[in-house]
Amino acid sequence: MKIQSLQNDLADHPFFAGMSDRHLELIAGCASNVRLELGQMIFREGEDAQQFYLIRQGKVALQMFSERRGPLTILTVGEGEVLGWSWLFPPYRWKFAARTLEPTHAIAIQGQCLRTKADSDHDLGYELLRRFVHVVEDRLDATRLQIVNVYQDR
Amino acid sequence: MQELKKVLEGHVFFRDMENRYLQTLSAGACQVHFERGEELFREGDEANYFYLLLSGKVALFLPSYHTVPLEILTLGEGEILGWSWLFSPYRWKLTAIAQEVTRAISLDGKFVREKCEEEHDLGYELMKRFAHVIDSRLEALSLHLVEVT
Repeated sequence: MKIQSLQNDLADHPFFAGMSDRHLELIAGCASNVRLELGQMIFREGEDAQQFYLIRQGKVALQMFSERRGPLTILTVGEGEVLGWSWLFPPYRWKFAARTLEPTHAIAIQGQCLRTKADSDHDLGYELLRRFVHVVEDRLDATRLQIVNVYQDR
Repeated sequence: MQELKKVLEGHVFFRDMENRYLQTLSAGACQVHFERGEELFREGDEANYFYLLLSGKVALFLPSYHTVPLEILTLGEGEILGWSWLFSPYRWKLTAIAQEVTRAISLDGKFVREKCEEEHDLGYELMKRFAHVIDSRLEALSLHLVEVT
């Protein structure tokens, strides 16, 4: 029952739009629902990246540390978005910190669990990685725009 | 084609890639050459290729909003350039200009997309590599953003 309802939650999230039931079932085996409180540090830069999050509700700030200005929010992630992919590649460490800006509901997915499944089922792996490539590319665009804005404001 | 496969094999991006995948990809590959100052692609144009740089230097420019376009990154030997062919609307978001005489392998984006769709083993391998490259680029850009903010 629990896995079935998780599978439905996964199917409802835009990140997995169009994913087959068979793959969603595999992913659900690595997933759990989590509630994060306001101001909670989800992960810190340099820590082991063990999972990623599909945000169902709420808002999370991604932060990097600036020598001059301390923690700097470089992006916020909200409902329908995905948080974290450092679990995909060695050394499997977070490059950013993440902190909630609102109470947040999310689905946490265990990275190693999913990596193992993707490695043995390349159909799943392809579907998954294609989605991640797209997300990382979107983040790259957003960051690029921010840089343009910084220079424009000068 | 065998020669191209060898060149692909020697490029860092394809390190440890299985032979049969390299064989498949080499059918969409071509050796190309750019003079200093020559454009590899221009922002807004259709993105049909990606490039594995073999030698030389290529600078990436943000769309110009002042009179001078903003250079954000320079790439050289062993690096890879371009992935806008991966997703609709398949258009370049940056402009790339050779800063020196540059040799590269171009790969046909549509061809590679189709091969990935047909063969998910290859698709998985390739997407992993692209995710990694784009993530590194994102990291570099984020650090740059932190510096200039």
